[in-house]
Amino acid sequence: MRVLVVEDEAQLLEQLAGHLEDHGFAVEKARDGEEGLYIGRELPLDVAIVDLGLPGLGGIELIRKLRAEGRDFPILILTARGDWRDKVQGLEAGADDYVVKPFHMEEVLARINALVRRAAGWSQPRLRFGPLVIDTRAQEVWVDGRRVELTGYEYRVLEYLTLHAGEVVSKTELTEHLYAQDFDRDSNVLEVFVGRLRRKLDPDNRLQPIQTLRGRGYRFVLGEASPAAR
Amino acid sequence: MLAVSFVVLAGFLGVAGVALDQAFRRSAETALRERLMGHVYALLAAADEDARGRMVLPSALPDPRFANPDSGLYAVVVGSDGYQWQSPSLTGRSADFLDPQPPGQRRYSRVASDGQTLYVLNYGVSWEDDFGVQVRYTLAVALDFEPVAAEMAAFRASLWRWLGGLAVALLLVQGLIVRWGLRPLRSVEQDLQRIESGEAERLEGAYPRELQGLTRSLNALIRSSRSSRERYRNSLGNLAHSMKTPLAILRNAAESGARSGELRAVVLEQVLRMDEIVQHQLRRAAASAQVALGRAVAVAPVADRIARSLARVYADKPVDIALEVQDGARFFGDEGDLMEILGNLMENACKYGRHRVRVGAHALQAGRRPGLRLWVEDDGAGIEPHRHGEVLQRGRRLDEQQPGQGIGLSVVREIVEAYQGRIRISRGALGGARVEVEIPPPSLSQF
Repeated sequence: MRVLVVEDEAQLLEQLAGHLEDHGFAVEKARDGEEGLYIGRELPLDVAIVDLGLPGLGGIELIRKLRAEGRDFPILILTARGDWRDKVQGLEAGADDYVVKPFHMEEVLARINALVRRAAGWSQPRLRFGPLVIDTRAQEVWVDGRRVELTGYEYRVLEYLTLHAGEVVSKTELTEHLYAQDFDRDSNVLEVFVGRLRRKLDPDNRLQPIQTLRGRGYRFVLGEASPAAR
Repeated sequence: MLAVSFVVLAGFLGVAGVALDQAFRRSAETALRERLMGHVYALLAAADEDARGRMVLPSALPDPRFANPDSGLYAVVVGSDGYQWQSPSLTGRSADFLDPQPPGQRRYSRVASDGQTLYVLNYGVSWEDDFGVQVRYTLAVALDFEPVAAEMAAFRASLWRWLGGLAVALLLVQGLIVRWGLRPLRSVEQDLQRIESGEAERLEGAYPRELQGLTRSLNALIRSSRSSRERYRNSLGNLAHSMKTPLAILRNAAESGARSGELRAVVLEQVLRMDEIVQHQLRRAAASAQVALGRAVAVAPVADRIARSLARVYADKPVDIALEVQDGARFFGDEGDLMEILGNLMENACKYGRHRVRVGAHALQAGRRPGLRLWVEDDGAGIEPHRHGEVLQRGRRLDEQQPGQGIGLSVVREIVEAYQGRIRISRGALGGARVEVEIPPPSLSQF
């Protein structure tokens, strides 16, 4: 998942970015509102974290502009004062959730994951596709009750495909959402990940969870059992 | 103010003057007409008859002025049979003011004749002679208008002189009254300047009854702003003081070469503590409390905004928030404070309730500045009675599972207390907790 972090306090920005990357996010950093607006417009994003106390183009204005331009990825606001006026204004401007500084990093992570999952239409943290269960909070995967160990990138690929279950995801799209801008992209690496995923999830070749559409991309096709919000 | 009253006065006196002038004119004219009519009757009474029985004017005329040339009183008589007569006073003058009238008709007019202005009555009569022949005569009597005109002019001049003088006098008196009336305000102004320069603390003087409402409110405002400033100063002092301990602990831990795990624990703990201290002092400093003359904030729109915001944040849950806020429910104070109260209570309800939250508010009395009661209920587990006190304490968290937000009840309690209000926890109709807040009506008497 690709996340934009807009925060003018340099140390906090680095801390947040580092933590998010450690947990499998591709992070875009912006130090002020204008930079955040540019990135928010130009790059495909899954979620954004915006500090309200930005100089120049303020957090609330930034959110308003992004929403006005049809950018509808979920937004988590960070507020130092924590008063309800700021929270309500931020939410009315188009944000989806808030966190008060100083915050626990785990809380930010949990809320971001919840927002991404909610945006994909899932109201519960556990995604169930027949025998396959993905716990997005713990980032664990089970097949037929058996725990499956995945590497960080493998999990990310699986998560993205399942959150867009039933949709065709092109290799370009997958790469864009998995790697930060300056990462060296090689679509062959993707094929390797998908191959590994198939082997780990479906060793007997019985389930065939991921379908390859030649020239178009991948699609997760395992039946959905009980997504509450769908 | 004086300019307006001058215009009004001028208007009034002008209208009065014009009315009086017109009345005098009419009266003078009426008198003139009656005199002329009188002369006509006198002439008719003095008339003789000739051999045939027709009207003949004698040489002895009722008014000596008819006999004197240029006397100012003139008469002309003409008959339909060719009879003509004019008064001796008309010698050397023209009789052009004659205007024959049918019998019974009279006509008054003002004409210019021979360089003079005359007021004329032309009167038509019918006279039957001895043979039964009807002869029509017109008697014309004219009076010199000059004296009357002069009299009217004199009256008018006198009238306007008097009215003008009256206007000036009235204006002067009014000016004096206004100055005298405003004198207390000037003394209030001087007293305020003394407060500004620090010589005095409040408005202390004998002010007239009409100003007492104003001076009371001003004193309340002064007190409120002063106590606000003091509170800020105190809070900063308290904040600085309370931070010293956690800072000292952190410093010691760093300097004493504690192991990294231990250091980490100490840092986290003290950070949490410092954060709580900062939050607490910020809230206390910012609570504007009962701002004297505070504006009324309608509760319904605020509750609505917060409900929508919470619906977004808790979209996963999902929670149904029912709003039962009366239109008349108003909060006299800072809107931010109301948002803190409602926001914290409603979010707690969303967090700890299962699916349903109810929010209500109504004014406590009728009147312009009533008190307020608001309450929030949820259908969660509720709060056990023996923990009510604990839960309202600053910084105590009844649950540690939901990270980051902390329980907002202590925040709400502090704000409510700053407004001299009460907060109460009980079991609600939905089965879970009910938190009720009562804010008394705002009053200036505490200042």
